[in-house]
Amino acid sequence: MNLRIHIPEATEPLPSIRTGNGLLQWISSVDHKQIGIMYLWTAMIFFVIGFVEAMMMRIQLARPENSFLSPEAYNQIFSMHGTTMIFLVLTPIAIGFATYFIPLMIGANEMAFPRLNAFSFWIFLLGGIILYFSYFAGGAPNVGWFSYAPLSEKYYNFTPGVDYWALSILLMGIGTIGAALNFIVTTLTMRAKGMAINQLPLFVWMIFVNAFLILSAFPVLNAGLVMILLDRQLDAHFFTTSTGGSAILWQHVFWVFGHPEVYILALPAFGIVSEVIPVFSRKPIFGYEFIAASSVAIVLLSFGVWAHHMFAVGLGTTFGAFFAATSMLIAVPTGVKIFNWAATMWGGSVHYKTAMLFALALLIDFTIGGLEGVGFAIVPVDWRLTDTYFVVAHIHYVFIGAALTGGFAGAYYWFPKITGRMLSEKLGKWHFWIFFIGFNCTFFVFHFLGMLGMPRRVFTYPDLPYLGSLNMFSTISAGVFGISFVLFFINIFWSLRHGKKAGDNPWQAFTMEWLTTSPPQLKSYEKVPLVKSRRPVWDLDHPEDPDWKRNQKPKTADHDQE
Amino acid sequence: MMYFFVASEAFFFLALIIAYVYYSHPGGKLSDTARFLDVKKTAIFTLFLLSSSVTINVADNRLKKGNHKGMVGWMVATIILGLVFLIGQSLEYAHLFEIDITINKNVFGSAFFTLTGFHGLHVLIGLIVLSIIAYLIYKDKFNKLGTSALESASIYWHFVDAVWIVVFSVVYIGSII
Amino acid sequence: MKDFFNAIRHFFEQQFTSSSEGAYDINHLFLQYLILAAVIFAIVAFMVIAGALKYHSKKRQEVPKQVSGHKTLEITWTVLPLIAVTVFFFLTLKVMKKINRPFKKDQKPDIEIIAHQFWWDMRYPKYGIITANELHIPAGEKLLMRIQSADVIHSWWVPDLGRKTDAVPGHINHSWIDADKPGVYKGTCSEYCGAEHAWMRIKVVAQTREDFDKWVEHQKQIPPAPTDSVAREGAKMFQSMTCANCHAIAGTPANAHIGPDLTHVGSRTTILSGMLTNNLENMKRWLTNPQKVKEGAHMPNFMLTKDQVNALSTYLEELK
Repeated sequence: MNLRIHIPEATEPLPSIRTGNGLLQWISSVDHKQIGIMYLWTAMIFFVIGFVEAMMMRIQLARPENSFLSPEAYNQIFSMHGTTMIFLVLTPIAIGFATYFIPLMIGANEMAFPRLNAFSFWIFLLGGIILYFSYFAGGAPNVGWFSYAPLSEKYYNFTPGVDYWALSILLMGIGTIGAALNFIVTTLTMRAKGMAINQLPLFVWMIFVNAFLILSAFPVLNAGLVMILLDRQLDAHFFTTSTGGSAILWQHVFWVFGHPEVYILALPAFGIVSEVIPVFSRKPIFGYEFIAASSVAIVLLSFGVWAHHMFAVGLGTTFGAFFAATSMLIAVPTGVKIFNWAATMWGGSVHYKTAMLFALALLIDFTIGGLEGVGFAIVPVDWRLTDTYFVVAHIHYVFIGAALTGGFAGAYYWFPKITGRMLSEKLGKWHFWIFFIGFNCTFFVFHFLGMLGMPRRVFTYPDLPYLGSLNMFSTISAGVFGISFVLFFINIFWSLRHGKKAGDNPWQAFTMEWLTTSPPQLKSYEKVPLVKSRRPVWDLDHPEDPDWKRNQKPKTADHDQE
Repeated sequence: MMYFFVASEAFFFLALIIAYVYYSHPGGKLSDTARFLDVKKTAIFTLFLLSSSVTINVADNRLKKGNHKGMVGWMVATIILGLVFLIGQSLEYAHLFEIDITINKNVFGSAFFTLTGFHGLHVLIGLIVLSIIAYLIYKDKFNKLGTSALESASIYWHFVDAVWIVVFSVVYIGSII
Repeated sequence: MKDFFNAIRHFFEQQFTSSSEGAYDINHLFLQYLILAAVIFAIVAFMVIAGALKYHSKKRQEVPKQVSGHKTLEITWTVLPLIAVTVFFFLTLKVMKKINRPFKKDQKPDIEIIAHQFWWDMRYPKYGIITANELHIPAGEKLLMRIQSADVIHSWWVPDLGRKTDAVPGHINHSWIDADKPGVYKGTCSEYCGAEHAWMRIKVVAQTREDFDKWVEHQKQIPPAPTDSVAREGAKMFQSMTCANCHAIAGTPANAHIGPDLTHVGSRTTILSGMLTNNLENMKRWLTNPQKVKEGAHMPNFMLTKDQVNALSTYLEELK
């Protein structure tokens, strides 16, 4: 093994304040690994809360004209469920893994701005706490996670829920922007010697382009939140239609943020499976350049599609046509990735580890979710399906089927590195299958409910044919789905104590984080190898067939293996 | 890094500017309320803000040459010029409040005060940051990171200026075309 | 088991038969899209499942050939989807233009819909009649609707009869509605509008031209004054208590349109925007405590006595 000695640390000492071990040390930590772990714990705790909210909704909807929840209670719960899952679960999963692993994957010992890192986490957590405080302060927000005006105006909504909602998202947004700044600067300035930009592990690349999306989308949301807060608190007239305000402006501002937001949640999951699938197929990713380029295309295009959320608003045929075109266009780079990921397995040697199973589930479920998206881009189809349970199916197929499933793939893949112990594969497989079956049973029927005309955001529905039975089926499946999470938590807690010791590279993976110990020391790297290809650890483990040597060979026909 | 941060803030202001443009032309015509803006006075105060960008550049140069006293002097000039701008903004606000034009008067008021208000807030925060940095460099509390701190702050300050040029053009010059 | 398959068949038939031209175009395009989606999904599922099974590690050498891509293949599976979406874009454009049929700027709409929190105000400018929640139309004709909102954003949607159109305060929308044959078509508000969004249902009754004309004539008539004593009491109460402040009944001094027009409320099949069947008992339930029946509706609880409830209900039910 030829290790060149490059010590990738700042010339000043790291500003990490160790005040002994225990809780105080965590609260004052600026160590990216600890902060990453805190993000992940936050995600897990809020997930449980968000899931309880979801189960309450499902119980209410199990039967037509049910009275388990009052309309007001249901409306608060569905709004909190959406806001929680998006901002307090999926976002910290992505940011948590990124915070932990970006420095490790590029051979750095810290992020560029450790104190900003800590600040970002704590202000994000503060936002979450403020959101939930609203339950005790006069009522949670009850206008959905998207808070359409003028329903969200004081005149129609005089409890402080919407104010808490706006304030909390402002705070969480500031945290997310801080994290994004950190990711960009770290990736640009702290790579190990030899790691060119086009040799970044795909997870790092996805987070990197994602960070640009965060930097441009969240400020627009902030502008909108500021406007609604000013309307509600200082009687401004941004969205009060009776005094010249525009309800449609809110939709524009929100969705200019909202659409990039969903890619902000999906791209990290794409990055994770781009790491997992090659490792468990024992080959490089199929088409690195296409996958990297397609993510840039998605970032750029995602700012041109927002109004596909507004096809029914009545803004004209030209308007609809433009956004239909861009929305259909954005499906192409997204779809290309799926083919590339699947093709990575062909010719490889596929190991059925739980992480890989989740990655494959993403391919299947995200394809369903993504195809639905294309359906909505077809404007007349949108005129039928928008605001029905078909949309609810779509959002859950992409949020759960891509973002959460990718998160689980990352969890099973990286748990050994973070904790030094293996998660139980046996429990993992049970978790996976109950998750996959439970998820698809719960949410696939939503397609039919949407086609049958059941609108979304309703606390109940009339006893029309099939509606009751399909909803009941979904509720029962949701219970099964919930069991899968219990298994996951059991796996985590059991494996933390009794899991098999992991060693540095239990998966024989390819990227640099697997060079560190499991778990890494406070100073992750004393030395890092000179990077010559996209898979530095593969190169070290396979000196007879390193990537850089193979890539130098004159171009022969690259065919798939038999 | 500051470049990325200001790029991010640029999107925030862009959203507010678009809202302003939309709301300052209800029904396609310039709002009557816009006629009460004092373009001449604000133009003069704008010059103060723009000159503060020049002075901060000089301060940065002084620091790079190791002239701490010179840097502090020019920083103080920058801060004073910035303060004058803010005072001018406050006078404009006071004048508008007197004739009952407030954030809740109409959509123009909402958009105008939000856009200029957030700009003013960014100026204020900038002045605080500049003061702190100038003080710390003067007292030699920074090691060699001091130059990059001032450089970053300068980028932010120039950004605040650039935003004002756009806002002034759109709001004030836009009100007299 | 047979029932189950029948149910599935019935479901799919139902999905793709249409009762109106507006819906037909949408459903047809939807079916074409579903076919494309199924094909693409099948391809992906094959690639994933076959790939995973065929190349399972136990059948393979541990270190397979390290292939990292195939430009031609990748270009192909970029270009093919691009072609597919381009085709669908033009289909989309075609159907959009067809559904958004043009109308003259000052064309008087046949039907005016004003959405409220949580009911639908329906007016026929050409006949001068006003009703609520239950729309009657002549079958086989294309009618122009003018849709707006009196408060927050709502959305008009009757699946069998065409597209969804939002009711946006401060913004007027036009939409065409047509039904091939007489029948009853159910719809719902499709934009979250507050507490009782779930119970802002729509009922469209399509009738033959003759029956529709008869209905219009009947709606135009002023309901006769009630004859029996209980109803007369109710009529008096309606005018003297706060009912008239919100509700209109043609032929009486009450002509406010804050709440639904009640001129012919007795002839509607449901009340509370499709929530309850319209009969005396339900009307009494409602008037006894509106907030208990439809929590969040804008009708306060007037704490009426049992007799008051009885009188008012009897009166209203007689307004056929």
